[in-house]
Amino acid sequence: MSNQQQQNSNPPGGRYGAGFVPPKEAMEYNCADCGATNEIKSREPIRCRECGHRIMYKKRTKRSWPFLARFCLPTDIPT
Amino acid sequence: MPDGAECTRRKPTFNTLAREEAFRNPPKNGSTYSILNEFVAPHIESFNALFDDSGLPSGDGDGRGLISLGVEDIGERVVFDGDGKVENRGWGNRMRIWIEAATIARPMVPDKDKHSTTRKVFPSEARERLTSYRGRMTIKLCWTDPYGQRHEMPKDCGLVPIMVRSVRCNLRGMSSAELVKKHEEPEEFGGYFVINGNERLIRYLILPRRNHVISLIRPTFANRGPSYTQYAVQIRCVRPDQTAVTNSLHYLSNGSAMLRFSWRKQEYVIPIMLILKALVGASDKEIFEGVMMQDHENTFLTDRVELLLRSFKMFTLKTGEQCLEYLGDKFRVVLGTPEDWANGAVGAWLIQKLILVHLTNPRDKYRMLLFMLRKLYAVVSSSCCADNPDSPQHQEVLLPGSLYGMIIKERLEETLNQIRLNISLDVRNGVTVDFNDKKYFQKVLAKVNFDIGAKLSNFLATGNLVSPTGLDLQQASGFTIVAEKLNWQRYISHFRCIHRGAFFAELKTTTVRKLLPEAWGFLCPVHTPDGSPCGLLNHLSRTCRIVTAPLTVAHIPSVLAAHGMTQSFTSSIDGRKNLCVQLDGRVIGWARPAVAKQLATNLRIWKTEGVNEIPLDLEIGLVPEFKGGQYPGLFLFSTRARMMRPVKYLANGRDDQVGPFEQVYMDIACTPEEIEVAVSSHVEHNPTNFLSILANLTPFSDFNQSPRNIYQCQMGKQTMGTPSTALQHRTDNKLYRLQTGQSPVVRPALHNTYAMDSFPNGTNAVVAVISYTGYDMEDAMILNKSAHERGFAYGTVYKSQIIDLKDVPGATKAAAPTLHFGLGRDIIHRHGDRAHYCLDFIDADGLPFVGTKLSTGDPIAAYIDDTSGRTKFVKYKGDEMALIDEVRLLGSDAGDSELQKVQISLRITRSPVIGDKFSSRHGQKGVCSQKWPAVDMPFSESGMQPDVIINPHAFPSRMTIGMLVESMAGKAGAMHGLAQDATPFKFTEEDTASEYFGEQLLAAGYNYYGNEPMYSGITGQEFAADIYIGVVYYQRLRHMVLDKFQVRTTGPVDPVTRQPVKGRKRAGGIRFGEMERDALIAHGTSFLLQDRLMNCSDYSTAWVCRTCGSLISLGYEDISLGEVAMGASSTLRPSGPSGEYCRVCRAAAELQDERERQALAAGQAVPPTPQADVRVAISSQHVLGRASKGGDLDIVAIPYVFRYLCAELASMGIAVSLAVT
Repeated sequence: MSNQQQQNSNPPGGRYGAGFVPPKEAMEYNCADCGATNEIKSREPIRCRECGHRIMYKKRTKRSWPFLARFCLPTDIPT
Repeated sequence: MPDGAECTRRKPTFNTLAREEAFRNPPKNGSTYSILNEFVAPHIESFNALFDDSGLPSGDGDGRGLISLGVEDIGERVVFDGDGKVENRGWGNRMRIWIEAATIARPMVPDKDKHSTTRKVFPSEARERLTSYRGRMTIKLCWTDPYGQRHEMPKDCGLVPIMVRSVRCNLRGMSSAELVKKHEEPEEFGGYFVINGNERLIRYLILPRRNHVISLIRPTFANRGPSYTQYAVQIRCVRPDQTAVTNSLHYLSNGSAMLRFSWRKQEYVIPIMLILKALVGASDKEIFEGVMMQDHENTFLTDRVELLLRSFKMFTLKTGEQCLEYLGDKFRVVLGTPEDWANGAVGAWLIQKLILVHLTNPRDKYRMLLFMLRKLYAVVSSSCCADNPDSPQHQEVLLPGSLYGMIIKERLEETLNQIRLNISLDVRNGVTVDFNDKKYFQKVLAKVNFDIGAKLSNFLATGNLVSPTGLDLQQASGFTIVAEKLNWQRYISHFRCIHRGAFFAELKTTTVRKLLPEAWGFLCPVHTPDGSPCGLLNHLSRTCRIVTAPLTVAHIPSVLAAHGMTQSFTSSIDGRKNLCVQLDGRVIGWARPAVAKQLATNLRIWKTEGVNEIPLDLEIGLVPEFKGGQYPGLFLFSTRARMMRPVKYLANGRDDQVGPFEQVYMDIACTPEEIEVAVSSHVEHNPTNFLSILANLTPFSDFNQSPRNIYQCQMGKQTMGTPSTALQHRTDNKLYRLQTGQSPVVRPALHNTYAMDSFPNGTNAVVAVISYTGYDMEDAMILNKSAHERGFAYGTVYKSQIIDLKDVPGATKAAAPTLHFGLGRDIIHRHGDRAHYCLDFIDADGLPFVGTKLSTGDPIAAYIDDTSGRTKFVKYKGDEMALIDEVRLLGSDAGDSELQKVQISLRITRSPVIGDKFSSRHGQKGVCSQKWPAVDMPFSESGMQPDVIINPHAFPSRMTIGMLVESMAGKAGAMHGLAQDATPFKFTEEDTASEYFGEQLLAAGYNYYGNEPMYSGITGQEFAADIYIGVVYYQRLRHMVLDKFQVRTTGPVDPVTRQPVKGRKRAGGIRFGEMERDALIAHGTSFLLQDRLMNCSDYSTAWVCRTCGSLISLGYEDISLGEVAMGASSTLRPSGPSGEYCRVCRAAAELQDERERQALAAGQAVPPTPQADVRVAISSQHVLGRASKGGDLDIVAIPYVFRYLCAELASMGIAVSLAVT
């Protein structure tokens, strides 16, 4: 599978200069149909591994928000 | 109740627990609210009717769908491989081409996709992926080779949009629980198409009633040609496949009549005699007797029929066959029938396809034409009146499915025509045409466009009808609308709205917009927008149905004949004493008026009781004889697309269905009390049935002045409410959501019926009617600041942003995309203090973090361009703070391509602010003018403070007593825990609402009249008057200042005029127009005028020549090296301090010198210099800098457009001269 992906995702190989490899971080997404968590790397097809559905939702971020508290106050509404 | 033991448990009136249970566990069989499936039934059933497996009763037909019927009606096309010349073997081989079957499949995943566990595609996917919900259409194309051998081939016709919840939809028959599993709402009722992620539906359109002759008097008919008059009769004939042809019969001043029809948007007229003879080969005597019907004393009629017969003598056509041949000869060129047909066959084909197409038998057509002729002469002689085509009596509805079927049929017909055309072109151009060669046929097919699905998608997406025939419709655009999910009320109204036609919108007369009494019970008198579509865009009444199923009526003629009807073939019928009996535009017999009346009564009893298999939806229009009234007769209608409504038949107490044609001659009592013995025939099931769903939802609407109810119907549709319960699966451009929706305390009974509590639309507010702060003038309202802080009317706007890498600049059209979402290697610092700013917003996949806060210009997505290797950003364009609510990664149809498209839902918080619009449910809208601190609000003796204060002046002129009653009812309901029934027409003069609710208020310890002593929040003193305070349901309207405010000091200007641009989006200004200018002039505020129109607009300075007054003749001389002396005269040229001079004057002066010299030499007088055409005086105060040192130019302040005007005038050869004094 990964070999295949390698070929698919980087087809023109040397055309864009040697050594250019797109970042291969796999991201986790939720399938819009079955809700399964899918790891999809950049330039992989958008398709659920479980059900074959074609829509993914980005997961809610887990990183901390140092300035999150700001949102709770209704101060940014112009009056 | 003092002791709880004796208190019996009251039945809950708000059904909170039952509703919660229904939300948690939607019903596993059936739907939560079945009525919602009923009111879209015409949409869905008409679409189902396209298919052979429609699930509708088959009626008289064999149950085949409209597509099959249409395919049959298209017939075959014939093409030859010879050119028809005798020297080259004549026409040569004959090939017949036809379509045998057309099928549409359910939406499925493409065959390429091997991974999906389910092949079915559901509408929610189409919505979320912004694609269309389509199923594949295939046809079976058949043709014959020269030996007559039949060949067939399946042909793909592309993907056809499918109506949601129709028989071709994968949601068909699902229960609420299953719908929720498929990411739909539990109340999803379908009836629309999903096109590019938008929900679009085909709007009902009013059409003339089919198969019924209406008489018209239109002065414009006289302009059709010499001897044409204003009289005509018209019939819109509909074939079994629901396509229509309109035939008109025009009366000529010489007594004869011309039949008019159109073929491929071209109109043709034929003398009626020609058709009558061609149909059945009728003799002159037969026609004479047929029209006269023994009324020989009627000299008006005899004269005209005689003229009619005589005028036909010039044609010298005697037999029917001759007439057919004549017709065929004349029409052969336009009809495109097979070349080897004889003229007679072409003529017969013309009559079959274009004259009274609802009838197949020529004898029936003949009888109907005679009837039309008799009706025409009756109108001319004023023995009957003209019918009103604007009255619902003569109208029916264009059903979405019928229109869809018509388009499919026409497209199929076009493909056949294309094949035929291509082959005959090849024959003409000398290309080798070999009918035995399958390859040749394939080559021809390759040239023909079979993609019917794309045509239908385009039709639904734009609403534009691209059609060579026009489909017998009066408009070519505006057929489809978006079903906006702004709130539930607006959404359901879309499915009940009915339009009169785009043609009438531009009509100057307003007669078509009039509310007619005939519309009672079919079109709602309240629910229509005000403004330009008023009266043209109506809504169906709540109980109005549209017949979509074919009925069984073939046996009716024999049943009627058995009960005294004279059959139609009887030769000697007295036209004076007999009424015509027609069934769906076919003359089935004749009956004396008394017999006809008896027949009508019998039919009604039979149909209500189900005797003799008379269908309940049969419309029995008995038009009684009345001198100068509507043309009499017994007209029975059984076809589809008619409006019908349920009432109770008094004779037997059964349910009856009445249509708009028969209702005119009925006496339907509104309430049982109104029934008059021997007069009333029916009684309404409910007195509110004539109102639309929305009009029914206005509480106590019978207490209000009528326009206020109209306003409420509009404002209910603009309310920020609950658009959907499946919000997370929606990708609409803009959605408004009220966070704190409540169930109204005061609501009509239908509130529950139509699932309004599942989609709350407002908030119950304690409203005091008092002039307190001075900030509530002119419909402003004061909001309690604490109520606001508790979440009163808090709302959210969801916007969606779509990023498609195919559309961004730099995208290639090649197969492999060169743009990819993600962060490239040029974003070096990913962590720590030197991290790239975009990492605050964007994840490693190039998409924003869910929950990120965005403001204008922040990056919302990043993509890498393969060609440059750099990362580019997509910016957030909105000007408000937004939060990322959802990021959708959208794959391709087959799920085999990488990420190229994302949809991002943005959430924008909208707490109520000053300037936001609110309204009660009684057309009482107002703008929030202050959020008043709770401590300063007035309070009642029990310590209650109002949430909202409105000004008492809102009531006297508007007379919305319903709001006052709602206030009382709401107060009592809130105290007693009752959901108050606010259905209109429940109270009477004897049993008044104020008494009923007054008693309830007394029981709760309040004043009987709903007013209370209150105390000023500022001084603590009691007010001199008691204040009317109660609970009113308030709606927050979607018009919010944050979307509207517009202010500018400086900003972008128009490059041509240098005036500020217009438009809020472009930071433009607001036009200070002519009328505003007039006001300033009238006030004498000239400084302000100067400031607005000049200084703040296109103030500019310009050089003007003092001599010639020209603005556009400035020239500069380079004087950096001192003044120049040049030219023929070698004199010093005058120029300004910076070298400016007037080019015109200098040229003139040089010319003048020359001329003077020549004049001197010739001894003549000096000729005068030319003058400017237009002179404009500029006062000295506008002359800024007077150039003193010999220069001829002054600087003046002028609007820049004036200079532009001068340049434009100069280009037309008009000189403008400014007189600088």
